[in-house]
Amino acid sequence: MSITDCVSLRHLIQEFTMRSLATVNIGTTTQVVDVSGDDNTSLRLLEMGLTPGVEVTIVGTAPLGDPVELELRGYRLSIRRNEAARVVVAT
Amino acid sequence: MRARNSTEQQSVETDMKLTVALLGNPNTGKSTLFSAIAGIPTRIGNYPGVTVEEKVGTFLHRGHTIELIDLPGAYSLNPKSPDEQVAVDVLCGNINSVAQPDCIVVVVDATNLSRNLYLVSQALAVGRPVLVALTLCDVAESKGIHIDRKKLSEFLGCPVLRLVAPRRDGVDQLADALIESRDWSGQVVPKALNAYLSKGAESDRPVAAADAIARYSWIDDITKDVLSFSTKHSRSLGERIDAVLTHRILGTVVFGMTMLSIFSSIFWLATPLMDLVSGGVELLAGWAELVMPDGILQSLVVNGIIAGVGGVVIFLPQIAILFLFVAVLEGCGYLARAAFLMDRLLVGVGLSGKSFIPLLSSFACAIPGIMAARTIENKRDRLLTILVAPLMSCSARLPVYLLLCSAFVPNVAVGNTWFRLPAVVLASMYLIGIFVAAIVAFVLSRTIFRGPPQPFVLELPSWRWPQPAVVGERVREAAVSFLKNAGTLILAVSIVVWALGSFPKPIIQAGVNPESAEQQGEALRQSFLGQAGRFIEPVVKPLGWDWRIGCAAVASFPAREVVLGVLGVIYNLGDVDPGEEEGAGMLIRQLRSATWDGTDRKVFTLPVALSIMVFFALCAQCASTLVIIGKETASWVWPLVSFTYMTALAWIGAFCVFQLGTTLGW
Repeated sequence: MSITDCVSLRHLIQEFTMRSLATVNIGTTTQVVDVSGDDNTSLRLLEMGLTPGVEVTIVGTAPLGDPVELELRGYRLSIRRNEAARVVVAT
Repeated sequence: MRARNSTEQQSVETDMKLTVALLGNPNTGKSTLFSAIAGIPTRIGNYPGVTVEEKVGTFLHRGHTIELIDLPGAYSLNPKSPDEQVAVDVLCGNINSVAQPDCIVVVVDATNLSRNLYLVSQALAVGRPVLVALTLCDVAESKGIHIDRKKLSEFLGCPVLRLVAPRRDGVDQLADALIESRDWSGQVVPKALNAYLSKGAESDRPVAAADAIARYSWIDDITKDVLSFSTKHSRSLGERIDAVLTHRILGTVVFGMTMLSIFSSIFWLATPLMDLVSGGVELLAGWAELVMPDGILQSLVVNGIIAGVGGVVIFLPQIAILFLFVAVLEGCGYLARAAFLMDRLLVGVGLSGKSFIPLLSSFACAIPGIMAARTIENKRDRLLTILVAPLMSCSARLPVYLLLCSAFVPNVAVGNTWFRLPAVVLASMYLIGIFVAAIVAFVLSRTIFRGPPQPFVLELPSWRWPQPAVVGERVREAAVSFLKNAGTLILAVSIVVWALGSFPKPIIQAGVNPESAEQQGEALRQSFLGQAGRFIEPVVKPLGWDWRIGCAAVASFPAREVVLGVLGVIYNLGDVDPGEEEGAGMLIRQLRSATWDGTDRKVFTLPVALSIMVFFALCAQCASTLVIIGKETASWVWPLVSFTYMTALAWIGAFCVFQLGTTLGW
């Protein structure tokens, strides 16, 4: 296996074994471990402050459960569930 | 001597002019700061080739002329939207209409310093002197947030000024600092930041991601030292409001009530203003009739120009009121929450939460609704919203619905309920528009507009009081742009329609009064417009229409409101106004008794009335809307597309309803 295979495998394992912001209960405060994905969406999430180590709280959701409202770095951010699924958080 | 003097003069002149870029995240009060420093913008428009707003202001300070460019709000200088691309282009000097900035002011929201510093970290690399303008300091202080400005300035390597823009606190110091920035040698990126960036470049992540993480590592080091919090007495007002508004049930209820009140006030608030406008237009028409000799010129001025321009200006109250509401909601932060609540529903049909307000507004009038779509940064979502907005049944369709419903829909109860059939039919016309819009959006988003998923990463700004200066500016800007853009083309179209309806003049038989209702009807029938009606008769026959209805439909393509008036003239009612109760009664009687040429068969049956209503519900009979679509999309392709697809859908819809209704014996 090459270096890149190891890297993608690591990301895959993380996604399946660790929790993401999409699966965490409302009201929990947790820490971001990583943001998976290489596209613009993941970059945008990082740029808005969802970086490894930051503390984030799930404040609530819209009536149908999507999007979710987060609090981090002193402000409120809303992202869709499928975007939240990319953010791996500590168990 | 002379040559030296002129070079000195030149260098003095260039020394006196400074170009400054105002950069910052959205929702930081940048616009308020712009107004506080530079007043009303001297130049507003779009950057070339894009529908991103360009806003430039000029002001004098201590003998220097300072040109302030208000860049679009950006979260990052790694562009992911047209707004951010424009910000980068201006900073690099790639745009011809603006000079490359000599100095950059980054507006930083003191209530969330951490995220705002991201943009600062990127601005420091541009190479121009950077000034940090710390705004919303009063809000931060009330939240118990303390920032050590001196330390922050040391970490960043640039001045950090405290501003409270609405009170103009710190504005003069900022202007002073701008002038002093001319003497700086150039901005350097802080060593600590560079260290993190190089370490990040060595990691196995993609470059951009590593970059972002490195920057936040540097920012975290800074905020640990610079930010401190004091304990608050109780939850701030903003947090208590948020607890209610984002509550799953309460929040939705408040949201529903807010939208309902906006929607209904656009109707009842605008109506007296619109009556005022139409009263004024009538007065003007009356005066022109009095003053001008009878004849073609008088007809052109009164029926063509005044009627046409009046038809445009009558939209102004609705536009102004709608933009007032949108600006207030945007200013206080509610717009983002509305998008948040509606997103899931709209994603299901291929749109997004931000389409909600534009689509809701289109129920009053599609024009301000389409203009409001500017708040959607995502190009694809914005275009889709603009394309389906005209399907929301606007207020101009209402008179047609009301007249046909009351005349031809039997006033019986539906089944065992207390709902009456005419009301149900009326509601159905609105629902048909929504339903068709959902289908169109869904289909388009899966076919022509299929693309990679766009992020819905949306900041929910903290609650704040909207600034009157900013709100006023938005309303003024919308009104002026509307009048300028729509007014010129609509005027032209009205004149053309008038001409088609007035020529060729019929031969007046001896002894017949040319002003009589019958003669007016005959004149219209023999004009180009009337001939067009007869020409398209085979096309409209499957819809159950006769040539007179076809003629009225053709005549109402520029503006659907005229259809009742045209119907009145065709059915020999002369100048009777079907908008008035008496006139409506007369028109209804005429329509009920109308028969197909040469037979006793009634033209207006229930299926026919329904097919007319469905046609009007789905058709793009509004030249003003098409013009605005063209302006907002910066292309003539999309108005053409809208017109074509909506007319096709309208025909199909009317056909289906008529055939179904006749078969079922309605």
